[in-house]
Amino acid sequence: VPQRKTREPEIASSLIKKIFSHYAKMPVTRDAFKIVEKCCERYFKQVCNDLEAYTNHARRKTVEKADLEVLMRRQGLVTDKMPLHVLIERYLPLEYRKLLIPVAISGNRVVPCP
Amino acid sequence: CCVPVQRPGDLCASPCVALRRTDLLVPWVLQRLKAAVHYTVGCLCQEVAEDQDVQFSKQTIAAISEITFRQCENFAKDLEMFARHAKRTTVTTEDVKLLARRSSSLLKYIAQKSEEITSSNMEQKEKKKKSSAVKGGRTGKQEAPVTESEEPNMA
Repeated sequence: VPQRKTREPEIASSLIKKIFSHYAKMPVTRDAFKIVEKCCERYFKQVCNDLEAYTNHARRKTVEKADLEVLMRRQGLVTDKMPLHVLIERYLPLEYRKLLIPVAISGNRVVPCP
Repeated sequence: CCVPVQRPGDLCASPCVALRRTDLLVPWVLQRLKAAVHYTVGCLCQEVAEDQDVQFSKQTIAAISEITFRQCENFAKDLEMFARHAKRTTVTTEDVKLLARRSSSLLKYIAQKSEEITSSNMEQKEKKKKSSAVKGGRTGKQEAPVTESEEPNMA
């Protein structure tokens, strides 16, 4: 039985292509997509490194939402005028939004539990 | 000597934005800070000019000092955020190191400097301990009223 080559985990290239071309709004060559994929890989490495530093800084071993918020603030995505939940509402589909933002539903319950 | 007067009317246009220390400063204090930065930048530029044998125009020095001033704002915000993230209200060297993490050479330099400072602080503390053991802890009593008088201004 031929051993299956173990590959590094990565985001599906079709998904990267879809997202990138959604925002680019102009034709993109195949080589350019290759570069974008490489950049995504690099981005994840860097982000993980940063999150590790922020988590250690707060004397924790588990990455929490607060660490991500600090990261996005450092990246300039979250500012005083642009809070995290606005970004969540703008960029995430409904089912993920429901998981992240507390919503009151019937029976006087709030999801997720605050 | 000069405590900025806090007037609730003209501090902040939108109430949702958290008050920053710079909002509390009246314009002329800001101007004086800028002048101090400009002076120091001028001195540093002159050092570089003599060292590298180049000339800085006045506009360049002014631009560098303006950049420095604005960069300080970013640094202050980030340091505050890092300290709050670690559930502290005091900015420490750890926060400063986190700020310089992006550039490895800068991080190396800052880590080295912080080690130097901590080692010199330890020496001073040991000296103080020895001297306070002789004098009976006089320095501690002197410092206490100063910190108390500062607290009302911070609030």
